[in-house]
Amino acid sequence: MVDSKDNSFKLVDHRKAQKPFRFSTSSVLVILTGQRARHLKEFIEKLKTMPDGVIFYHVHNAFREYHFAPGKYTNDFAYWIGEVLGESTLAEKIANIEIDDYSSLISLKETIIKLVEGFLTCAVEIRRAPPGKEFYFCRNMSFIMPTKYEVRNLDEFCDALKRVGMRSLYFHFFEARLRLGHKSNDFSEWMRRELKEEDLALKIEKLNPYLYTLDGLRNRIIELIEEKIRPPFVRIIKKWLRLN
Amino acid sequence: MATIKLADYAKIIRSQNVDEIQLLAEKVSGLSLKMVNSTLVGGGVAEILNRSVPLLNELGVKTKWEVIKGDSDFFSVTKGFHNALHGNRIEVNEKIFEIYKNTNAENLKNMDFSEDVVVIHDPQPAALIEAKKNSKAKWVWRCHIDLSHPQNEVWQFLKQYVSQFDASIFSAPWFAKELPMPQFFITPSIDPLTEKNRDLSKSEIDKVMRKYDIPRDKPIVTQISRFDYLKDPIGVIQAYKLVKKHIDCRLILAGGSATDDPEGAKVLAEVKTAAGNDPNIHILSLPPFSDFEINALQRASTIVIQKSLREGFGLTVTEAMWKGKPVIASAVGGITLQIIHNFTGVLVHSIEGAAYQIRYLLNNPQIAERLGKYAKEQVREKFLITRIIRNYLLLLIAVFHLDDNVVQF
Repeated sequence: MVDSKDNSFKLVDHRKAQKPFRFSTSSVLVILTGQRARHLKEFIEKLKTMPDGVIFYHVHNAFREYHFAPGKYTNDFAYWIGEVLGESTLAEKIANIEIDDYSSLISLKETIIKLVEGFLTCAVEIRRAPPGKEFYFCRNMSFIMPTKYEVRNLDEFCDALKRVGMRSLYFHFFEARLRLGHKSNDFSEWMRRELKEEDLALKIEKLNPYLYTLDGLRNRIIELIEEKIRPPFVRIIKKWLRLN
Repeated sequence: MATIKLADYAKIIRSQNVDEIQLLAEKVSGLSLKMVNSTLVGGGVAEILNRSVPLLNELGVKTKWEVIKGDSDFFSVTKGFHNALHGNRIEVNEKIFEIYKNTNAENLKNMDFSEDVVVIHDPQPAALIEAKKNSKAKWVWRCHIDLSHPQNEVWQFLKQYVSQFDASIFSAPWFAKELPMPQFFITPSIDPLTEKNRDLSKSEIDKVMRKYDIPRDKPIVTQISRFDYLKDPIGVIQAYKLVKKHIDCRLILAGGSATDDPEGAKVLAEVKTAAGNDPNIHILSLPPFSDFEINALQRASTIVIQKSLREGFGLTVTEAMWKGKPVIASAVGGITLQIIHNFTGVLVHSIEGAAYQIRYLLNNPQIAERLGKYAKEQVREKFLITRIIRNYLLLLIAVFHLDDNVVQF
């Protein structure tokens, strides 16, 4: 767990935003669509008819739920295809889709469909999931609400980021971009627009969030901000203190 | 025992998660909620309600918990329904339906439903939905059992009631049936601060082992479950006997009984017969309120097994995982949501598979330890009571926004 009470060696950053950044958080309830697929042909037929929310849910579910440890598959589609159907090659391809490259769920859905259809064209047999192991399509209902954390500069931002829950990080980094159609992650957008911190915004934007756990992602963003606002000797002392 | 407050969980889960629960609670504070089930003690549902009702009240949701009353005929019928919904055929006749309808109707005479939201747990009180026409409440059916292969006559009978609810909740995607209302997926949870799950000292564990006269001279394999055919206790004994040919160990089969389970005594007698005179098999029929003892037995175990043939969610699996134990369990029902094979435990499909995995983990303690470590983290993130509190708070918002995908405050 991240130590959220570490306020030592704080330096004042004078660049203040006109418009503050308010951390929001999102909670979800999962809704069962009632649709299931027993094999890849059925899977693809049903996937085509599913709303975007279904794609979003299955691409992020494993990531959101297992943020304490990275799993073998980054999304539910790859897990089912690999572990249940035993189609490891296709599973790896789907697990390795660079979700970060997609700005819309429609194009992401098209890529998944294309990969599965390509596989089916060459497949010599269509494997069926055993009873009870079918793919169940789900979606979620999101509840978005502002937290008490409102910040105006990088120092405050860094402190707040240590305190907010994982769902807040998840919301601003994943949900805002792919589900609400924001151009980038919310952190980079605010830093660029309000603090004119183009470099930092770009560095955060370049992080591939799908390669981290949520804990890891948070720590990496904090590191990037601290590199910007704290001189190296302070960081070295802090690291030494942490190790001892 | 001092009342447990939400703040007490901040030492166990991330404190930010506690903050978020409080934030959600502000949005539903003042709403009233009624929970109805069929037993006050015994079974996972009662355990969840026991703790979640006070916590919801602490958070400002005026929550009441009521238990329907019924005689032994009613509970025999609902036990039959339970088995039938899990796929075991029972004899169906008009009389059992009458007993069910009449008992629910009798209960209705003494209940009122003036709350904002009513949550009915499981099939036993489902016919209380008849009161919906005179109530302003949103009605939710919380189904804790696996409906994927029900006996059709029983399901069709219950469906006439279930389909009248505004929303339903299932513990796994494959438990759900096609129903004309939104179906939420919410897993059950355990409470890490109860007697059943709190940390125990070595001397506390030793005390319980002495009480039941179980030496700790060899590895212990344990299944904690009601004595119920669906938990396959005789299958566990058979697996133990296969292991015993190669490795010396002890087997504990321990379980309590619930007031809505009249079948337990019969199964217990059969289990005792199957165990014979083996001094290394310890069969413990625990009285109600044996949570401390169950906790100690789980913690004293080298491996915990759950060889259910069918399972709702399998909270005994969650409990063992929370104690950092390597769990070997059947790949049935909600167990597959908890155990990621070879990552947070081991899934098996047969007596022979269970026996092999017991032998494997007893021979490879470092692998067993790693499984237990990840199991505990899995439960911390997904299956603690704080998660269910969050879900109930969300549900209280969701039932008033059933047509929306996003609710933004």
